[in-house]
Amino acid sequence: MQKWFTPAAVVCGLMLAVAPLLIAQAPYESTMGLVQKIFYVHLPSAWVFLLSAIVCGVASIRYLSGGNPRHDRTAWAAAELVVLFGAITLITGPLWARKAWGVWWLWDVRLTSSLMGWMVAIAYMLLRKYGGPGSDKLGAGLALFGMANVPFIYISVNYWRTIHPTTNVVPTLPTSFGLPLWFSAVTFLLMFVLLLRLRVGLEEQRARLDALYLVTDE
Amino acid sequence: MVCVCVALAGPALVWAQQPAPQQQDEFVPIDELPAQDQLPAAPLLVAAYSFVALALFAYVVSVARRMATVQRELERLESDLKRSGRT
Repeated sequence: MQKWFTPAAVVCGLMLAVAPLLIAQAPYESTMGLVQKIFYVHLPSAWVFLLSAIVCGVASIRYLSGGNPRHDRTAWAAAELVVLFGAITLITGPLWARKAWGVWWLWDVRLTSSLMGWMVAIAYMLLRKYGGPGSDKLGAGLALFGMANVPFIYISVNYWRTIHPTTNVVPTLPTSFGLPLWFSAVTFLLMFVLLLRLRVGLEEQRARLDALYLVTDE
Repeated sequence: MVCVCVALAGPALVWAQQPAPQQQDEFVPIDELPAQDQLPAAPLLVAAYSFVALALFAYVVSVARRMATVQRELERLESDLKRSGRT
């Protein structure tokens, strides 16, 4: 493991401890009240969900063009994080919506495209686990679809009629809402970097194991 | 011309069809509302934060367990190779 990993993990742990204090001190939103505080985990996890899909897609393009297994390992690790942070986004969103909108789920464009992006990552994982030889290239192709979906998810709320808040909310946030949000976003970003490094490390160990099995078979 | 009239009258018709806001003539305590209309926010908030904590914890534990399994296997193979003098 790299030298930066342990200090970064300590910083991330401290930030995780401080974030709830900042969130608790943030004011209640005028129409949604207490339940709006789900925002401070929902939005950062949604951003990391999209970032993971981009990392998975870019690593897949590099793997398809260069054939370097390091990029394939990064893509696989990132796909797992798409599933993790996508699940957090898709669970915390309905918990907020139930109170704010009166329903758990709406088949509107933002929610549906997010669910689709998450299902692409699930398909990628299943393909890599059970697809057999050649699933690395096929999975890389699938990851491109997952990445192509990202801008669509992001801008969808500005172009289609939906009850979901638009992307204009964040730039206009007052400091009292903005500070806990950005603190939480940096914490989630750091967590993403650490988890990606940890997961890529696991794939590297597996690659070493495969190489050793080849030696023993000879 | 007819189209222009319809276009101009459209929003007015929509406005006319909207129910007029009801003037409130009594206050109802929230605990007197039907159960399906009483929805406290705290359990939803606690559920959301608990899910985030559990999901992240479960993922870290899962990766750590997989890493430990691979590490054990690596050590076993390396010691086998050393014993057979093939490293």
